[in-house]
Parts: sequence; structure tokens; C-alpha cells
Amino acid sequence: MNWRQIFLVLKREYITRVRSKGFIWATILVPVGFAAFIGIMVFIAIWESDVAFEVAIKDETGNVAESLRAMNERRYLDYSHLAVDSLRTMVQRELVTGYIVITEDNITEGRNPELIYSGSGGMEFIMSVESDFRQVIREERLRRADVSEEIQQIYDARISLDTRRLTREGEEQDDDTIFLSFVGMILGIIIFIAIFSYGGYITRGVIEEKTNRIIEVIASSVKPIELLTGKMAGVGALAITQLSIWILAFLGLSSIAGPLAMSFMEPGQLAGDMAVAETELPAIFNLPTLETSLIIYFILFFILGYLLYSSLFAAIGSAADSDTDTQQLMMPVTIPIMIAYFIMFHTWRSPDSVLSVVSSMIPFFSPILMITRIAITDVPFWQISLSVILMILTFAGTMWLSSKIYKVGILSYGSTVGYKDLLKWIRQ
Amino acid sequence: MSFPIQVIRLSKSFGKTMAVENVSFNVEKGKIFGLLGPNGAGKTTTIRMINDIMPPDEGEILINGEKASPKTQKWIGYMPEERGLYKKMRVGEQLLYLAQLKGLKVANAREKIRYWLKRFSAYDWHSKFVGELSKGMSQKIQFIATIVHDPDIYIFDEPFSGLDPINSELLKEIIIELREKGKTILFSTHRMEQVEQMCDDICLFNNGKVVLTGNLRQLKKEFGKNTVLIEFEGDPGFLDELTDVRINNRSTNFAEIRILNGLNHQQILRKALEKTEIHKFQLVEPSLNEIFISTVGEDNIKQNELLK
Repeated sequence: MNWRQIFLVLKREYITRVRSKGFIWATILVPVGFAAFIGIMVFIAIWESDVAFEVAIKDETGNVAESLRAMNERRYLDYSHLAVDSLRTMVQRELVTGYIVITEDNITEGRNPELIYSGSGGMEFIMSVESDFRQVIREERLRRADVSEEIQQIYDARISLDTRRLTREGEEQDDDTIFLSFVGMILGIIIFIAIFSYGGYITRGVIEEKTNRIIEVIASSVKPIELLTGKMAGVGALAITQLSIWILAFLGLSSIAGPLAMSFMEPGQLAGDMAVAETELPAIFNLPTLETSLIIYFILFFILGYLLYSSLFAAIGSAADSDTDTQQLMMPVTIPIMIAYFIMFHTWRSPDSVLSVVSSMIPFFSPILMITRIAITDVPFWQISLSVILMILTFAGTMWLSSKIYKVGILSYGSTVGYKDLLKWIRQ
Repeated sequence: MSFPIQVIRLSKSFGKTMAVENVSFNVEKGKIFGLLGPNGAGKTTTIRMINDIMPPDEGEILINGEKASPKTQKWIGYMPEERGLYKKMRVGEQLLYLAQLKGLKVANAREKIRYWLKRFSAYDWHSKFVGELSKGMSQKIQFIATIVHDPDIYIFDEPFSGLDPINSELLKEIIIELREKGKTILFSTHRMEQVEQMCDDICLFNNGKVVLTGNLRQLKKEFGKNTVLIEFEGDPGFLDELTDVRINNRSTNFAEIRILNGLNHQQILRKALEKTEIHKFQLVEPSLNEIFISTVGEDNIKQNELLK
């Protein structure tokens, strides 16, 4: 191995790609898209309460309409004095979104109230009306049953679970498992996409050199293994550049997003909507609190995963004459990464299950599953180290395999290559 | 006498096919050496092994006395048959990249690139993308890429295939100029008539084996003046009546006739005179093409793959 040659190849791969329009646009557009996404989320948080869906209530029992209006007077309008026909006309003319007639049956017999409406509002509207009625009717029944205040309170109680983490050092911490689960899933997905796209760069780069027919000129100056190494390192450096820009942009944007959103909200809204904003938008507003170690692990597992797969992607490219040729050869490489991707949706929910632990140690799955686990749960250090070591060893293996295929592949044209040929090349 | 390229008992097989079998030849310093033979005879495989792109199964290659290696690669300027450039790179930076891979320092490489671009009046293309160049233009850039690091040995694989006439001439000039500077040149071709004027020494390949090697003039002399070039007007039917001859290069008013088994050339002349008017009748040494055919025997030549 001659490092000067490898460096020259690396430099060419890096510079020609980093200057390409596609790269520059993607690097700019992703943070811009992310900013737009945050903007839209903030916009939704602020404005969603402004769209009013009015429901006319014809109350034949006497008490329900009042409690509903106490709950949300902008939504529920008491039209008990009108006939059902008039209410229908109002809905048809879109003066109200819908109406509900409450009868004694609904309270005593437990019959479901019926919402007659124009169809607008969607699921969220229906569900909130449903929960409002559930509560109001329950209260009415309790009231009629004349139960004591105490029991009413028991029914009103809504127990949820607060969680705090106790560290080994004996410190109690706020627990953001739910938030971190999302982070873990997103990191896993990012690695999944990144391996595919940067791996794709490698495959296409190798094929391009073959179709351009420059490969033989290059091969008369550089050993195939040097070319392969330089290429992988060049695209890897490109990946690190792009991801770093994105991570920085992401951290920068999210640190200004919170205050920015705050400043948009009117003082009156703040009290009510802040509660909404905090529960619904943590993934966006809280990200700066991510641990640095997680980012470092993310980069580490991305690099290892990238190396592992890109060596194979290069081998595939060398065996193909064109992009369309690669489809069939891609299969054995894409299957493990797809499996890892699907297991991730299990790992995300239970990161410490046997399936999660074991599969996060399998080198071809580790890049996706281990980072998901590290984000969510406290992964023992030995597991992380073991998976890293296994990945490095496997990488040595795939690199050996790929360099053999690559060496022969780059100089063979014409015939469609099958797995048999690849085996033959490896044995040569 | 020194031999910059020595090929010693070289063999290479791909699966069951023997691509190159026990091939030996030496290329003398300052000479133009032609590797000739039909397509699929093993020329490109041999050249790839000389360039250390492929390892031989058996045998040895010595470049300036050293075993072929990444080091010896830098002493060679190689233009493969399958040639190309990176389309998305600019001419200047591409040449710089290739020169650096051959071990040149940046400053030195820039200077040489400038010289050659000017020499081929291509300096204006310096900052153009290769993809924007015409075919002829990129062929010139390819020449520069081959010779820019100023090696002592040059290898051209089927250099004239796909070249336009202007670039063909240009390449011939380059090759002859390189020889005048004392450089060593090896090229391969399946079009023998094209290179007769250029080669000092030749090596004839057929089916992976060397069938004939040596100095071209010497070989021709050994074959003797037993080929008739005839130009005529009239009925060419007399050609079919001739026996013990082989007719190459036949057209309506021209034929190249190789006399076999000592038939007197005057007999041919007499027969021709009976039917036609003779414009030219000349006794010459056989063409390379003819030498090849008579060496390997007509039956051993894969049809359609030869010449034309």
C-alpha cells in the first residue's frame, strides 16, 4: 500500500464531489427543509386552536349543555330551544359544524350520543368531542347517583406515570425515555439512509470509472486496493463533512427555535399553549440537551457501518457494467441492512429485549441497532466495545473479500456477472 | 544492447482458456516493437501483465531489469485500448491528477502539462470539462495523459483504433519523435498493414502463443521476393485459373499474389497478358499480413477475426 497514491485518490474523490452542484444543494437544502419543518410545527402549535369547530347542542336533560359550555364555550353552543330540523338546516348551511341531541337515554341507558356533522374537522375533532362527552356524561351520572364528593374525586383522578432515572452514582435525573426513543429511532433511520446513499455514491463511482473506460489508465498507476481504499476514504470524508454541517445546522436551529417560537406567542396564549407546546414538541425544542457522547457514538457507528457496507457496495459496482446490472447483485447487501431496519422498530420500543441486545451485536446490524439502543437505554460498555470490535473484524473480512472481487471486476466487461463468477474471482 | 522490456516464459489463463502461453520476447532500447495478431490472440493480456495490472500465472516480466511492480509502472506510459477520461473533471486538473499518480511533483507536472497542451494547440481547453470536448479533442488529451510524465517506455494497445485520421497522423508523429529521443515503444495492433512502415521488431501472436518474432526487415528478407503486385484492366478471371498461389488483397483491378511452390512469376504475367492489359507488375517481399498467414497456416486462423 502506497499512502501517497491513496491520498491522491482520496483527494480527487473528495474534491470533485464536494464541488458538485448536487452535493452543495443537498447540503444547503436539508437544513433549510429542517428549518421549514420547525417553522411549520411552531405555526401549527400556535394556530391550531384558532380553527373553531362549533357544535350545536340540543339538550333535553337540562344540565349537559351547561357543563359542555363550561368546558369549551367556543366549541359548544346551546341550541336547546331550536327544533332538530332547524339544527339540520344550520349544519347544511355550514353555520355550525354539527349538532348533537342529548336525551335522557344517553345518560340513563348509556346509549352513545350521535354527532351529525358536515364531515369536516377530521379525527382530532371527533376524538376531542368524544372525550368531552365521555367526561360530561360521566359527571352527570355521578351527580344523579348522588355520590359523595370524595367518590366523585376518585373518578376524576387521572393517574399517569412520572419517571425519574436513578444513576449508578445515586443521582436522580429527569427521565426523557420517550423523547430519547424518538431520538434513537431517528438516528437509526439516518444511519440507514446514509449507508445507502453514500454506499450508492461508491457503487456509481466505480461503475462510472468502468463505463468511462478510464479504469485501465488508473490501474496502470495505482493498485486496485489503493484505489478502493482511497475511494472509500474520499466518499467517507465527504459523508463526515456533510453530516457535520447538518448536525451543526440542526443544533443551531433547534437552539434558536424555542425562544423564537416563544416570542411569537401572545402573552395571553402563553399559559395555555405552552403546556401544549411542551408536551407535543419536545423533540424539536429540547434537542440541545442531547449528550455529546451520543453524537460521538453516532459518528463512530456511522463510520463503521459505512466502511462495512461501502466495501461491499464497491465490489458490486466493479462487477457491474451499468446501474441496472447492480440490482440482482445488490440483494445480499441490502437484505441485512433492511432486516436491521425492521428490527429497529422493535428495538425502539424495547431496547433491552433479548432480540434487541443480540441483534445489536451482529456486525451488519450494529450500526443501526446499537445507536438506537445507546440513545434510549443505558447500554453496558462491554456490549458497545464488543460490537465495535466485531464490526472492525468483519470490516477486515469484507474488505478482503471486496478487494478480491474489485481487482478482477474493474477489468472485466461485457458478460453479466453472477454469484458463481464472484466466487471464482474470490478464489483466484 | 539493453532490453527495457523482457518477457520470459509468460503464461496466463482465465478459467479453462489459456490466454497467454509460454510467451517470451525482448524489446530493445530505442526501438519500436510491434505486437501483432488477430483479436483475441492474447496481446492485451500480455500488455496488462507488462503494466503490472494483472499478475502472470507463470513466467516473469522485467522492466529495466526489475520485476514488474508499482515502481516499474511509473517508468511506463500506457495507453490502453479501452481508454477514457473522467468526464466531470477539467482537462488541466485531470492531467495533473494522472501525472501525480505517476509520481510527478505538482510544479513539475504543471509545467509539462502546459508544454504539451501548447504543443497540441489545446491550451485553451485547460479549464474545460472533459465531457464538453469533442471526441478528437479528448483523444489528444489522452495522448498527453500517456506521455506527460516523460517515461522511458511507452506502451500503446491498439493505438489507432477509433482515432480520426488527423489524430492517427499525430500519434504516428509522436511515436516516431519518441523513438528519435531514444525512448522504447511497444504497441499492439491487429491491423498489420498499418504498422509495417513503423516497426523495427515484431512479435506475431496467434491463440496465445508467439508464432514468429524478430527484426521485421530480416524476417521479410528471409521470406524472399516471392510476392507479385499486379494492376490490370480487364477480366480478372485469370486469377482463378492460377494454381499454387495465394491471393491477398484482391479487388477489380488489383491483386497481391503470393507464389507458393516455386511457380515462376513470368507464368503469371503471361496468363494475365492473355486476358488483360497490365498497368503494373512488381515483384516484392511479402506483406506482414502474408507472413502471418503463411506462418500460422490458413487453417489455424480464426475466420473473420483477421485483418481486413
